[in-house]
Amino acid sequence: MTEAQKGTRTLSCPACGGTLEVRAAGWSVNLACRYCGSILDVSRPEVQIIERHKRAAGQFSLPLGARGSLFDTEWEVIGAMIRRGPTDRWREYLLFNPYVGYRWLVEWEGEWQFGTPLLDRPEAKGDSVVWRSQRFRQEDDESEAVTGSLVGEFYWRVAQGDSARARSYVARDFMLSCEEAGGEINWTQLVALSEGHVETAFGIVPPRMSRERQSALYARGGNTRKPDDLGRICLLVLASAILALLAMIVIAGPVERVSGTVTAPFGSAREGQKIGAITVRRAWQFVTVTASGENFDNRWIELDYRLVDRTTGQSIDGYGLSEHYSGSDSDGAWTEGSRSASTLFGQVPRGTYDLYVDAAAHSWPVDTVPDGSNPWSTPEAIEIRIDARTGSLPWGNWWTLVILLSIYPCVLVWRRFRNQNS
Amino acid sequence: MIHCPSCGAALPVRGLSVPYTTCTHCQSLILRKGQALEEIGKVAEVPFDISPIRLGTRFTIAGIEYTTAGRVRWGWSSGSWNEWLLATPGGESRWLGEAMGLYMLTAERPDVMTDPLARAFAEGRDPLVGQGLEVDGIAFEVSDIKQAECLGSEGDLPFPTLPGWSMTNVDCRAPGGEALSLQRDAEGTSAWLGTWHELSGLSPRALREIEGWPLPAALR
Repeated sequence: MTEAQKGTRTLSCPACGGTLEVRAAGWSVNLACRYCGSILDVSRPEVQIIERHKRAAGQFSLPLGARGSLFDTEWEVIGAMIRRGPTDRWREYLLFNPYVGYRWLVEWEGEWQFGTPLLDRPEAKGDSVVWRSQRFRQEDDESEAVTGSLVGEFYWRVAQGDSARARSYVARDFMLSCEEAGGEINWTQLVALSEGHVETAFGIVPPRMSRERQSALYARGGNTRKPDDLGRICLLVLASAILALLAMIVIAGPVERVSGTVTAPFGSAREGQKIGAITVRRAWQFVTVTASGENFDNRWIELDYRLVDRTTGQSIDGYGLSEHYSGSDSDGAWTEGSRSASTLFGQVPRGTYDLYVDAAAHSWPVDTVPDGSNPWSTPEAIEIRIDARTGSLPWGNWWTLVILLSIYPCVLVWRRFRNQNS
Repeated sequence: MIHCPSCGAALPVRGLSVPYTTCTHCQSLILRKGQALEEIGKVAEVPFDISPIRLGTRFTIAGIEYTTAGRVRWGWSSGSWNEWLLATPGGESRWLGEAMGLYMLTAERPDVMTDPLARAFAEGRDPLVGQGLEVDGIAFEVSDIKQAECLGSEGDLPFPTLPGWSMTNVDCRAPGGEALSLQRDAEGTSAWLGTWHELSGLSPRALREIEGWPLPAALR
């Protein structure tokens, strides 16, 4: 009769010899040793090792055996586990009171929910469910929840890597969560707890971050909640961008340059101005032609490029525009346009090419030929320097890649920012 | 006052007309035949558990007061549960299944045994999880099938709980929370219809005192 009055069953871990207490003796099936992490079968008088581990799970804000009063009932933390979804990670604590049964505490990004298992099942109605005549709308798509490390006792067979299909439904005041695993469906009512409620009830100090750690996290992307996977994703994006850049440099091949000057007259184009020869030494290369002018304003220079293959006489055509405008309006002085313009020729096949340029200058706002007799007006023609090079890099493609790669981490940052504020 | 034929200890009289009782001193299983007492064998002591119920705990269900007279503890591959026999002085009885802090109060429903699924089960053909049957207009679905063995027993019981006693238990659930279980052992098959409850919903009194746990206000 002495044991019957006791509230716990004491045993020693067959893996590490540590003394353990079973707080829900008779109901607990598995126990993860708080010292070595081994998972034990405690459902029978003889304790058996199911899975041997060498390290106990850590990183839980509520320790095993912690007691606190929530909703006028005293609860003891008897088990804790980390669970992972497709994009997030949370902790679940199993609470027990021998006179009342089991409850859950869910800790997600510093927020707490109190979970009560449902005795009756909600009824499905399309995308929503009805429970006790209240309608709950499905929140997210069904996703997988996987059990990570765990400690303490549980009333079912548990193992790391256990996976359940989870859905949640929301109404105004609380949430219903449905988990399906191994043919068994479990419904839980989840009620949000106000900030500090759990900490006060269980007498724990909320983890406070040091200034150094906060600034370190801020430097890593401003996310103070889940820096781990966001950091990894950012690293991956950076690595991909660098890799693509290296690949581009390798593919771009050797560099050859040719330069010259062309004259762009007003009124008519000066055609066929030869800059020089350039040789593509790979099966194909990118060729960039850059035009740069100086000291002209409210003018635009049209440039037509032709790369003529010396052996076949075939030409690859391109177009460039060098322009510069300025003026002043109600907002003040303004300038627009660029006197320097780059044109990229993609996939120029192997061979030697002569670069010819047709150039024509225009004035703005009225495209007239400036009067040569007026010494204050622009000269009759504008000089433009032309530089051509092989082995150039398609920077536009690379930036597009970087932007595409950044979309996912940006979405993550936005989502967490939104969660922080909701 | 009656005494254990094996060790001579006094046997509590609970005023229940069930044939078997277990001596709390020597674990002898005693068969009562009128005034005659016969020792049939020894039963296993119930392994320690944290259940708040004990022999003598009283419940008020639908205005009728029941007293806890006996218990059987069943074990299966992934856990165990208690079945408590609740009885009235008038001889009425109910079973209270206790698992994972939840309670299933049942009454026997012999008429369910005419259902084809129940009949097939009685003949040894186990149903599949998800199969359905209807009782009182309620659609039940088989939720699990367990092979269970008796881990121990205490108090007054209508059957002998000797070592090695085993059964097959089929649990069925309905959307409204109603529960139906079918149990088959060497002696036969029976059907039990009930509802799930929390302990506080059964108005318990004289619960077991557990060290370190004050009785919650709702149960005082």
